[in-house]
Amino acid sequence: MSYAIRLTDVTKRFNGVAAVEGLTLAVPEGSIYGFIGPNGSGKTTTLRMIMHILLPDQGTIEVLGSADTGAARDRVSYLPEERGLYKKMPVRRLLRYYGQLKGRTIAELDPAIDEWMARLGMQGWDGKKVEALSKGMSQKVQFVAAVISKPSLLILDEPFSGLDPVNAEALKDAVLEMRRRGTTVVFSTHDMGTAEKMCDRIFMIFRGRKVLDGTLDDIQAQYGLDTVRVRTAGGAAVLAGIPDVKAVNDYGQMQEVQLAGDPQGFLQQLLPRTAVYQFEVTRPSLHDIFVRIAKPAEVAPV
Amino acid sequence: MKNKALIVAVSEFTTLVRSKGFLVGLIMMPVFMGIAFGVQKFTRNATDIKDRQFVVVDRSGKLFAPLKAAADEWNRAAALATGGVQTQPRFLPAEATFDAGDDQARAQLSDRVKRDEIFAFVEIPADALNPDTKSTISYYSNHPSYRPLPSWIASTLNREILNERFRTASIDRAVVSRLTRRVDLSELGLLARDASGGIKAASRVDRVRTTAIPVGIMMIILFSVLSSAPQLLNSVIEEKMSRISEVLIGSITPYQLMMGKLLGSAAVSVLLAAIYMTGGIATARHFGYGDAIRMADLSWAAVYLPLAVVMFGSIFITIGAACSDLKDAQGMMTPAMLVMMLPWMTWFAIINAPDSPMSVGLSLFPTNAPFLMLLRIAIAPGPPLWQIVLSVVLTAVTAVALVHAAGKIFRTGLLMQGKAATLGEMWKWVRAD
Repeated sequence: MSYAIRLTDVTKRFNGVAAVEGLTLAVPEGSIYGFIGPNGSGKTTTLRMIMHILLPDQGTIEVLGSADTGAARDRVSYLPEERGLYKKMPVRRLLRYYGQLKGRTIAELDPAIDEWMARLGMQGWDGKKVEALSKGMSQKVQFVAAVISKPSLLILDEPFSGLDPVNAEALKDAVLEMRRRGTTVVFSTHDMGTAEKMCDRIFMIFRGRKVLDGTLDDIQAQYGLDTVRVRTAGGAAVLAGIPDVKAVNDYGQMQEVQLAGDPQGFLQQLLPRTAVYQFEVTRPSLHDIFVRIAKPAEVAPV
Repeated sequence: MKNKALIVAVSEFTTLVRSKGFLVGLIMMPVFMGIAFGVQKFTRNATDIKDRQFVVVDRSGKLFAPLKAAADEWNRAAALATGGVQTQPRFLPAEATFDAGDDQARAQLSDRVKRDEIFAFVEIPADALNPDTKSTISYYSNHPSYRPLPSWIASTLNREILNERFRTASIDRAVVSRLTRRVDLSELGLLARDASGGIKAASRVDRVRTTAIPVGIMMIILFSVLSSAPQLLNSVIEEKMSRISEVLIGSITPYQLMMGKLLGSAAVSVLLAAIYMTGGIATARHFGYGDAIRMADLSWAAVYLPLAVVMFGSIFITIGAACSDLKDAQGMMTPAMLVMMLPWMTWFAIINAPDSPMSVGLSLFPTNAPFLMLLRIAIAPGPPLWQIVLSVVLTAVTAVALVHAAGKIFRTGLLMQGKAATLGEMWKWVRAD
């Protein structure tokens, strides 16, 4: 298998504090790789090192087969978490500028701009200044800026944050289209549902260290069938005091229960207390796994 | 593939010249100059014509009458200009008497001035005509900034006092005037020989050629640098604050980005200078001074201008990269602006003595050289060639050193958020490999 990104024992410190420590990671070519982790856990620092914006203090990073991450610049595109757009610049001029910096000519860029603007429902906006765009529009322009150079590797830092469902859907389709065209996509997200549904592999970083890495199945398999989703007449209150209940995630109408023991034993303890409408033995969701890892400790600022 | 620094330069140039600020600056400078000339022309013919009534206490007993006669003459001749249109105020003296020790009378006259019944009052001492005493005429008014009336009173009374003293001494004033007539000094250039050996007469020194044109050339270069280099600070801070720098650094090296910015800024300066120089040359030709703008001066200006932009641009880029917002930057900008304005504050000294040790020292100092050495070059006969070459070398070395240091500070500072870098931190970045 060939890899778009390989990090080996990478460490990055700021003022002596490790933002990323001993990180080893391999992103297969053509995959969609999700980076998850609490705020300040080291996701953005890792992405910036891959982009050659920051250099690691220790370890090696290989991007698109080159150990010099700077050499791959023209084949890697980056969408930062906080949108980096010139407010006073008209959209097409901005897109051409960013595309030219990736080594493309205007003749190559213009058809790509037209195609992606149309795909994201932004026809006719290319003459407008960026300051006239809504947040969602700006985000889509930033995405277009990242893809018009036809990158081999696309790195997106929180691409879906702050988007309404329609725009989020449009951007999700665009990401999948990039993968169909052979681009490796790495994105960070706080939306576990999106990561579960879109990513071939998921990597979680916590306090600068890798805590999860693999397919969703691999990750969930590590936790076994220790989770039950129940819908009862009594709600979350009836779960109190049942010895097998380790933790409850209350969604109001439904509760996700992490068990210390056997699900059948738990059902027997539950039935005398309330009417049970739904009882589903399942693996923990990514959200649940995330919370189990991140919740017990406070997140250290980086 | 185009050089990426060049792509940045083109973008910076296009953004700057398309900005409203650039267009307004470009158009407003000649517009303001036109307005200034127009206002001057208008005000020359439309000045204050309000009557100035004033009271004169003449204790000499001999000066009020000639003062009144002179005022009548002024009001006839000066106040009524050609065509019968009044362009000056009339001076209307009225006589009063009170003792020198009568402060009550002075206070009453002061009250009349306050009530605008009169404009001022004047006391002429009894011994005003005595050449052996040092007497003083007193002028009282609550308009201390108004000069025409006291100036006219002083010159008129002194003329009459001298006339009276000469009469008393039985000396003919006309003879004295003839004998004491000044001999003027005419300032000339040097004689020159033409190709056939003939001698070309020396021409009179013309202040436009000797001062206005050299200062004009220097000002155009200074203004062009001032208009573009500080913009780099805003550009870098905008890119830092809106995280554009992260996107850019993902595509090009910080050094390419910085060089592109410097190049774009230099191009804007050259464009501005070219526009103003063209306007200046056209104006000079219109007034018959076309030959006073020498090609050699313009060539040196073309050498110094890019050096100045690179030098000051590096400083402003450094400040932008080291600060996290405009507020931080303003504090650090003041010393840089002071350095930039030093030629503006010292050009007078250079004009008065272009070859003095101070002028040589100031014009060799790298941050001044692009402006002050250029000024010295434009003032005949110009500095020795070695001084010009030395100033170019020193400026170029300083520019390269500043670009090198700015590159290192830019590389690190560009991604630093939240706080301004200290001088110690910047020095550490410069020294880092």
